[in-house]
Amino acid sequence: MVTLGHFLLFSGLLMAVGLYGVLTRRNLIAVLMSVEILLNAAALAFASAAAFREPHLFAGQIFALFIIVVAAAELSIGFAILLNVYRTHGAVTDDAISEMRG
Amino acid sequence: MSLTAFYALAAFTLVFAVFAVTTANMVRAAFSLAITFFLIAGLYLLLGSPALAAIQFMVNASAIPIMTLFIIMMTRSRSSGAPRTWQIAAGLLAAAAALVFFKGAVGHHDGQINPVSPELLGSNLLQAALLPFEVASVLLLLAMVGAIALARRRSG
Repeated sequence: MVTLGHFLLFSGLLMAVGLYGVLTRRNLIAVLMSVEILLNAAALAFASAAAFREPHLFAGQIFALFIIVVAAAELSIGFAILLNVYRTHGAVTDDAISEMRG
Repeated sequence: MSLTAFYALAAFTLVFAVFAVTTANMVRAAFSLAITFFLIAGLYLLLGSPALAAIQFMVNASAIPIMTLFIIMMTRSRSSGAPRTWQIAAGLLAAAAALVFFKGAVGHHDGQINPVSPELLGSNLLQAALLPFEVASVLLLLAMVGAIALARRRSG
């Protein structure tokens, strides 16, 4: 029988993968994609906790829904900023935007 | 039966997620991310909330990979450079720390899934969660206008 522990552990694994991607990716688009994985792991954790416990106003599912909304908004703004970075710096890697390095 | 489905979905999701964050080819990473989110939609179905599965399929598994592919083509970033050694060390450390935080998750043995019909979720969204719902719609509008304003080509 599949339990809440299965889903929470899977969310933790997915979150670990996303964290690894955020810290290791050199291309900023890939960093944003890893952030998407992180947000999806969080949404899945909320939805699974809500599904296995007694539902009170379906708060977990609604949280997951709002995480998806915020993720979409964050990604569109992030990509627009990266487009400007590409126009001014010619690339969207972490090396290209290192002027503020001391 | 549902345990088999869970293990199959979870294993494939993790494989595609790991591929999405490690492959050097950005286009392959974007497609792999789409498959990851598609499989997570399957997990939402397993959790008994078809509304969330449909939203996950439409937004995260379809719209976001398309946007990602567009931006990959527009910025000509077909490949992501190999990570530095300290980055790999920091990434593995952070992943291990996240797993330590989730160690307590194994202890939850609740096995009864309470399915949520889309009708109930929708009526609840428009009654108890009406204010956050409206704030979210304003946020999406702001994000759309902001993205257009930021990405617009400056004249002159």
